[in-house]
Amino acid sequence: MKKLHDSLSDLGRFSEPALLILISLADGPKHGYAMTRDIEVVSGQKLGPGTLYGAITRLEALKWIEPLPADDRRRPYRLTGAGQRVLRARLASLQAMTRVGRSRLAEG
Amino acid sequence: MTVQQLVRLYPRAWQTRYGEEFVEMVGTDRLRVQQVVDIVSGAIDAWLSSDVRRATVATGAREGGTVMNVHSLVCASSKVRYTTRDGLIGAAAMVLATFVLVTIGIAARRNGFLIAGDMLKSLAFPASMTLSMPFWIMKGQPWKAQAVIVGGTTVLLLVIGYISTLI
Repeated sequence: MKKLHDSLSDLGRFSEPALLILISLADGPKHGYAMTRDIEVVSGQKLGPGTLYGAITRLEALKWIEPLPADDRRRPYRLTGAGQRVLRARLASLQAMTRVGRSRLAEG
Repeated sequence: MTVQQLVRLYPRAWQTRYGEEFVEMVGTDRLRVQQVVDIVSGAIDAWLSSDVRRATVATGAREGGTVMNVHSLVCASSKVRYTTRDGLIGAAAMVLATFVLVTIGIAARRNGFLIAGDMLKSLAFPASMTLSMPFWIMKGQPWKAQAVIVGGTTVLLLVIGYISTLI
């Protein structure tokens, strides 16, 4: 059976933007502009609109995020239960890799 | 160039589902070159990626659109825009353009134009793929959309090709 977090890698060049979006939505719903600002603050990366919506389209199709009713013309998105599980799994995987990397650096 | 113009490069089903919020997010400020490139790349991805096309239809239906809206989304997405004949013409154009570009590249190198020769040879496939798009993938699209996507992509490829010869 395929692991959930493997599918995030399957998003190809959109896997990193998708991860950043999931992290951004982890503390509550946000619309596109708020996500871009939040991601810039958290990671230092400014996602272009084409990249952001390329990732949003895929994440919504996977049901890892879902749209909320539009607020004026802006539509907020929130993390779903499946999205939270995928994000937890990916962060745990990154944490394990970071641990190994740090310990190897310390040895060397 | 405004975001309203650029969003028209996306497939109609995508525009129906995301167009309004996309325009709202980008805002009315003058677009930077990086943003234009990113939006054009996103449009190409939306046209070429079957995942995105399916996702747009699925999310449009989930959104609770009316039966008519969902029907029009499905039709816009699944409508066959090109025939087998168009595909054959596109493939022939791609092969021919690749052959021509490689030949010119080889000739350029033999005549001492090393950078131009290398650039043409390395761009032979992506450039011919791009130039063949109006015959099939983009058939029936507005000429402005074709001009922006094909022209913009070709210019970008040339720039990338030139930079790669300097490294």
